[in-house]
Amino acid sequence: MIFRARQTSLCELCGSPCLCGEYSRNWSHHRDTENHREFTEKKTFFVAFLLLATLISASACYRSGRQTALPSTETRVVTDEAGRQVRLPQKIDRIVSLAPNLTEIVYAVGAGDRLVGRTSYCDYPLAAKAVAEVGDTMQPSVERIIALKPQIVLISTASQLETFTRQLDEQGIAVYVTNPNSVDQVLSSIETLGELFGPPEPAKQVAADLRRRTQAVESAVANQPPIKVFYQVSDEPLYTIGRDAFLTDLIRRAGGVSVTAEVPTAFPRYSDEAALASQPEAIILPSGGSMGNANSKVASALKNSPAVRNNRVYKINDDLLARPGPRLIDGLEQLARALHPEAFK
Amino acid sequence: MNIGRVTLSRTLLICGLLLVVLALALIGAAVIGSQRLPFAGSLCALAGSSNCALSAEERAILFDIRLPRIVLAGAVGMCLAAAGAAYQALLRNPLAEPYLLGVSNGAAVGTMMALVFFTGYEWSRPIMAFAGAGAATFVVYRLARGRAGATPERLILAGVIVTTFLSSGIVFITTVMDATRIRSFTFWLLGDLSGTTGGLLAVAVVTAVVGGLVLTLNARSLNLMMLGERDAFDLGVEVARVRLIVFGAASLLVGASVASSGSVGYVGLVVPHLVRLSFGSDNRLVVPAAAIAGATFVIVADTLARTLIAPRELPVGAITALIGAPLFVYLLKRG
Repeated sequence: MIFRARQTSLCELCGSPCLCGEYSRNWSHHRDTENHREFTEKKTFFVAFLLLATLISASACYRSGRQTALPSTETRVVTDEAGRQVRLPQKIDRIVSLAPNLTEIVYAVGAGDRLVGRTSYCDYPLAAKAVAEVGDTMQPSVERIIALKPQIVLISTASQLETFTRQLDEQGIAVYVTNPNSVDQVLSSIETLGELFGPPEPAKQVAADLRRRTQAVESAVANQPPIKVFYQVSDEPLYTIGRDAFLTDLIRRAGGVSVTAEVPTAFPRYSDEAALASQPEAIILPSGGSMGNANSKVASALKNSPAVRNNRVYKINDDLLARPGPRLIDGLEQLARALHPEAFK
Repeated sequence: MNIGRVTLSRTLLICGLLLVVLALALIGAAVIGSQRLPFAGSLCALAGSSNCALSAEERAILFDIRLPRIVLAGAVGMCLAAAGAAYQALLRNPLAEPYLLGVSNGAAVGTMMALVFFTGYEWSRPIMAFAGAGAATFVVYRLARGRAGATPERLILAGVIVTTFLSSGIVFITTVMDATRIRSFTFWLLGDLSGTTGGLLAVAVVTAVVGGLVLTLNARSLNLMMLGERDAFDLGVEVARVRLIVFGAASLLVGASVASSGSVGYVGLVVPHLVRLSFGSDNRLVVPAAAIAGATFVIVADTLARTLIAPRELPVGAITALIGAPLFVYLLKRG
């Protein structure tokens, strides 16, 4: 009796014929046929499943022969910034970039006319917008990339694109990973990529110029006392920069010191209490570029910080700060001028 | 609704028809994608001819990128729908579903731990996912069995508790890890079929077929166990053995699908119910039919996920829920 009752409550819960009405209606002839049919039906299901299995495994095994897309010209092997060995053709004339900073570098070193694919975030320089889109940085379309027949695909950090890298490798398309963690690495990335694409001279020129500007900033702020800076990646929830971010290095060069420089990882979620206790003298709000109007207010935990009291909150175009490419030095100059206006008189 | 008796020929007929639909979905999904391929050339290449109007790149897109993904979608759908059908019968609960029971989350936590701690070992992913799914199933089942036996309400409560606990575990892992990886994980958690690798694809396909087969062979016992375990025992079912086999097979199925593609929700709930509403609730038909229909469902959902906003992609789990929920509501109202 208990079991019957439970069956009823089940039916009410379900509210449909799925497990209850139909089931008991079927039940009577079900039992009659059970014994005769048991064996044959098991066999039938077995056959049905085998059919399906064959179908699926056949389609899984049916693979085209591997075509290695490398042309017959001689190749070279280089080591990328993730330590991977990458085999590249001597002459590169089809490039796909999967990060906005890499697209900017490609144009800066004079290889923009060879860029055949970019992500939806790659909006600078304006010429880049005319290049075919292959998706965003996290979920690029492998199909599109293969169809563009690139010789090299540039990606920014390998971590989230492991399987994706393997698929392109299998197609004989070289994947080059960059992983800039400091201003110096950004500048040497620019030089290395320039050498890869060739000719190397324009890239050397660009890097030398950027290096000169960096040094000019550094010598200008050399005798200034470092300013305690809070870099607000986003206000709600509060994210900041940590130990592994190249921005921590950038702030140091601009004559500041990030109050969160010792926090592990690159972009940690930061607690309100710690933010309140950090008492920054200046707050940087990267905003107004790709971020639009987002992140243009100081987080509530920092409302009473010395930075807000002394009116030292600076909005800097996030595209200049968040993209480790040639425009990062523009960001550095703006940052230094904000922190030490007296040094640039 | 006219529900005929489940006979050998009827089962074969229905499964055959569903297989035809699956084959059509497979072909349709192969010729549609973010990159336009020549229609006739693709069909010609799919038919096995090597002499088609298709460039080397287009061939590579079709066979190395698109087809493995479609096969994975089919395998995942099969796994989840068959597991859902089995859970619903075994637990005598229409709401039992890998996602609601916390089994998917168990497998997800296992997979994430494999990704964090054993990065280099490809096999650690499915193994940890199986372990996670099995552990979650065991815990939910034990929690659900109070002194008065396992009631459906208790089971769902246990599932909710375990799901919430494991979700917090997932949040913990993603927070401790670097923020730059969080978005890719969020994507993966909602179901992501891209970037299939040979090993995981093989695991998913073999598990789907073997697991589905094991569940189908136990479908008669599942029919009896829907009456209650006591009644089933009185009718000659080896309850403990069947329960172990079915839980084990279902955990394997969920583990394989989560390890290869994250948590694709709703499939295990919607597909078996659609099958029951259409063909009756005899598990000897429901389990294999749900497996085949599940494969079709996920293949269609994934085709939408990778074409709607091409070249960008949507998570397939969002599409299965978007299609699944209204479809389910419609059938409930009509039924």
